[in-house]
Amino acid sequence: MVNGYAPQTLREALEIKRKEQVSPYGGGTDLMVDHHRTGTYLFLHRIAEMQEIKQDDNYLRLGAGCTFTEVQEHALTPPILKEAISRIAAPAIRNLGTIGGNIGNGSAKADSVLVFFALDAKLRLMDADGERIVPIHAFYKGRKALDLALDELIVEILLPRVIPTRYVYHKIGARAALAISRLSFAGLWNVEGGKITACSTAFGAIDQVVVRIPEVDKILIGTPVAELDSVKERYLAAAGEAINPIDGRISAHYRKTVCLNLLDDFVETMKKA
Amino acid sequence: MAEISGSVVKVDHGPKVRGEARFVADYPMEGILYGKTLRSDRARAKIQAINVPELPMGYVVADARDVPGKNGVLIIGDDTPVFAAETVEFVGDPIAMVAGPDEAEVERILREIEVEYEDLEPVLDMRKSEKVFYEYGYEKGEVDKAFAEADKVYEEILQTGHQEHGYLETQGITVVPLAGGKVKVHGSIQCPYYVRKALVLALGIEPGDIQVIQDVTGGGFGGKEDYPSMIGARVAVTALKAGKPVRVVYDRREDMATTSKRHPTYSVYKAAVKDGKVTAMDIDLLYNAGAYTTISMVVLQRGTICSNGVYNIPHMRAHGRSVKTNSVPNGAFRGFGAPQVFFAVEMFMAHIAKDLGVDPVAFKEAHFVKKGDKTSTNGIFHHGVPLPQMNEKLLTASDYWAKREAYASQPKGRYQRGIGMSYSFHGGGFTGTGERDIIKAVAALQKYPDGKVEILTSGTEMGQGLFTTFAKIVAKELDCPIDQIIVKLPDTDRVPDSGPTVASRSIMVVGELLRRAAAKIKAEWKDGEAQRVEERFQQPEWQIPFNYDTFQGDAYPTFSWGAHCVEIEVDTYTGEQKVIGAWACYDVGTPIDTTVVIGQMEGGFLQGIGYAHMEQMNYDKKGRIRSNSYSDYTMPTAADVPKMEMHLCVEEYPEGPFGAKGAGELPLVGVPGAYVNALEQAIDKDFCHIPVTMEDTLTHWREGGQA
Ligand SMILES: Cc1cc2nc3c(=O)[nH]c(=O)nc-3n(C[C@H](O)[C@H](O)[C@H](O)COP(=O)(O)OP(=O)(O)OC[C@H]3O[C@@H](n4cnc5c(N)ncnc54)[C@H](O)[C@@H]3O)c2cc1C
Repeated sequence: MVNGYAPQTLREALEIKRKEQVSPYGGGTDLMVDHHRTGTYLFLHRIAEMQEIKQDDNYLRLGAGCTFTEVQEHALTPPILKEAISRIAAPAIRNLGTIGGNIGNGSAKADSVLVFFALDAKLRLMDADGERIVPIHAFYKGRKALDLALDELIVEILLPRVIPTRYVYHKIGARAALAISRLSFAGLWNVEGGKITACSTAFGAIDQVVVRIPEVDKILIGTPVAELDSVKERYLAAAGEAINPIDGRISAHYRKTVCLNLLDDFVETMKKA
Repeated sequence: MAEISGSVVKVDHGPKVRGEARFVADYPMEGILYGKTLRSDRARAKIQAINVPELPMGYVVADARDVPGKNGVLIIGDDTPVFAAETVEFVGDPIAMVAGPDEAEVERILREIEVEYEDLEPVLDMRKSEKVFYEYGYEKGEVDKAFAEADKVYEEILQTGHQEHGYLETQGITVVPLAGGKVKVHGSIQCPYYVRKALVLALGIEPGDIQVIQDVTGGGFGGKEDYPSMIGARVAVTALKAGKPVRVVYDRREDMATTSKRHPTYSVYKAAVKDGKVTAMDIDLLYNAGAYTTISMVVLQRGTICSNGVYNIPHMRAHGRSVKTNSVPNGAFRGFGAPQVFFAVEMFMAHIAKDLGVDPVAFKEAHFVKKGDKTSTNGIFHHGVPLPQMNEKLLTASDYWAKREAYASQPKGRYQRGIGMSYSFHGGGFTGTGERDIIKAVAALQKYPDGKVEILTSGTEMGQGLFTTFAKIVAKELDCPIDQIIVKLPDTDRVPDSGPTVASRSIMVVGELLRRAAAKIKAEWKDGEAQRVEERFQQPEWQIPFNYDTFQGDAYPTFSWGAHCVEIEVDTYTGEQKVIGAWACYDVGTPIDTTVVIGQMEGGFLQGIGYAHMEQMNYDKKGRIRSNSYSDYTMPTAADVPKMEMHLCVEEYPEGPFGAKGAGELPLVGVPGAYVNALEQAIDKDFCHIPVTMEDTLTHWREGGQA
């Protein structure tokens, strides 16, 4: 027996969340791995307000209750996010798993979360009294430690309307499908008038939370594409200082080597594009 | 292709695709108790006390004191306790079983039982083990002389890791106590008569009082050869104590963390080379048996016998040991000790070739055994050895020479490619005279008045297609449609003991008994009458008896052959490896059903690829298995299946049904050699171990002096 509530509206859901100890349940693909018979769940799948994908003046707004498949198939979804989702698990899990759950799980290995970090996404969190908007990097305080109050829900993921158009995405899993990231990389950039005008990178599964290195990204911004070679060494050296993975199933040394290899390739790709 | 090789719909297809097939977990639980196992959380310790909380009505806890017969599970030896009594020998060693009507309550009781231990120092490294379970050796020719006269001597250490079976259905057994002290056992079982034999000892009752029935079984790969005897004994003891039926079905983590796996090995190979050819080998093998002997004796025998691979080595010495460590007992697994040595010898030969400056394929081919040659144990390759034709076929299909040459001079870049080949054989049936002296297979046919004929053997269907191929053999010989033939899940009360469904023996040995029985029944056919025919195994007269003390003679009557080619691409930035081409050619004699055989070939090949580079079983320092889920222990998925091109070459075996010989294990056995050889070419580095992980690959590439 599974105990829980299946509200139809966000309002109802937030009222329940205020009154009761309930675990929000998106697709259950993380929760059900360690299912406890005694748990009480707040099923979110009937809440239409959390399943929309829409655009306003500032943001592309992705409902936290959207499944991976829904996000992947939507016309407004950025290509890098589509690509990242295509490497998540397998179709059955993608049809159930939600992006809100990917964030709510609090793992640095979450594949859509990597892209949200790279895009400097913000999260819209709500409780029964109102809402607040938090940048994703501030939301993650550590592994499984989120800036989420007991009565709050993740309601939307807000992506900037304008994002860099070029990207590189690489996921290393132990096999082609149903593989948790051993290391993942997202890099985006823009070129205007022969110069790099935007650059943003993120690394997943190398530390307790997704790693961003904006101060290192900055080194490339403003550099003419033709002169990338001249800054590459400085850029990689700075990245080498900034990226310090932890040991896990695979060694810190392997992780660091691969991060730097991928950054090297990132610059080479910029040169060719 | 022979007429019988055409494909039919599998006889068990309908119920399986319609969801009607009943696995052990599908029986309604009314009146049946849930059983759960209390396990050691120490790798090695003395049990001081087992403190059981007060039990609610209807719940029981059984431990070593409740075993009515001997507290030992009879496999080959009986050192595996039904329940650990004085000491625990690995993390997961069963100490007791709790059973009761409510699963959650059983789990609560399990959590509340306290075991007091006195810790002892565990041995986790097989090389540090001082307890040798088995040791074998043999010698042929003049090894020392050949080494003394060699132009060059080579030595290499080769290692292989654990491998998990990963059958889709986890282990599970139900035991029902019957009136008069009898018991009925049913479950996911590869060898019903093995379970019966084990219960005779553990329960101290007669074979006739034990009925073992196979339920529909979701895969085995060897993992359900000896293990069901252990669960069976534990559940039976508990059920007898409770006086009620008890069912145990493992969950995936319990199954992965505590059931048998492929033996890891550490091998030292030495070779003498004279005039460009290997004249002698001196081989020392170490198999990690884990905590108890289970089936390690025969695994080690096969490994030791096959340690020179498909090569004619005139002078050779092989010595093998199987040692105890405080880890999960390793057991039977498709290939049975052979994949480890085939990996070792294939890499060793390739490395020697490289040092001599010749292509490994040409070098290996120059050493292929042929019909009439002596085997490692001075037996004879009695039948044709089609390796040269198989090799030729693959070289053409894969375009090996052109690719090998192109990749040898590829510029260093992010993506590097390589191609490699390997060769293997698999001897069908039990090692030595086992079929004649140990198994003594009996198979029967029962003809009913309506003309239908039932197959009576202890052969089990686990998804490999045996019921279909058995039925085809009998139908062919009787010249009747296949739906005239009845095949049911074996029940020891109804079927004779035709031996276990292992060792690639079922078609070759039992299939031939069935064919002969069918021929007999046809000759004596009387319309409208019930008739029964039995056939017994007879060892071919030409087979040279095998001597287990000296390891001399025919270890196997005949061999199936395999050649494999793998092409891979390595991402040298990340160490990721991708198979971009896979070819194999197998000789299993006449395929009794081509679709079934190709299914075995493709599945085995993929399992070999997993073994070579993906599947890694991690232990921590306390001896706990960390890779106890499919997300941590990464076996290939459907998305990892490369395009595989499987060829068959038919060298008929005169003693097999319609010329068939063993097929089940062969396709996995040789694959890692081809895979790793391709990897070696891609990154121009030698490897001496599997699995070769991404991390290994990246490390080696960088050590290789990449800019
Ligand atoms: C076989 C398998 C393979 C997988 N492969 C991948 C993979 O490749 N990449 C990857 O990133 N992940 C993978 N996962 C993990 C999982 O599928 C994802 O993390 C998924 O996004 C979880 O979403 P869900 O809706 O199922 O979450 P749930 O299980 O429902 O919830 C996860 C957590 O988030 C909380 N939560 C859910 N929604 C909200 C909300 N709106 N507000 C606040 N908290 C919330 C829940 O309470 C829970 O703590 C895999 C899982 C499985 C079982």
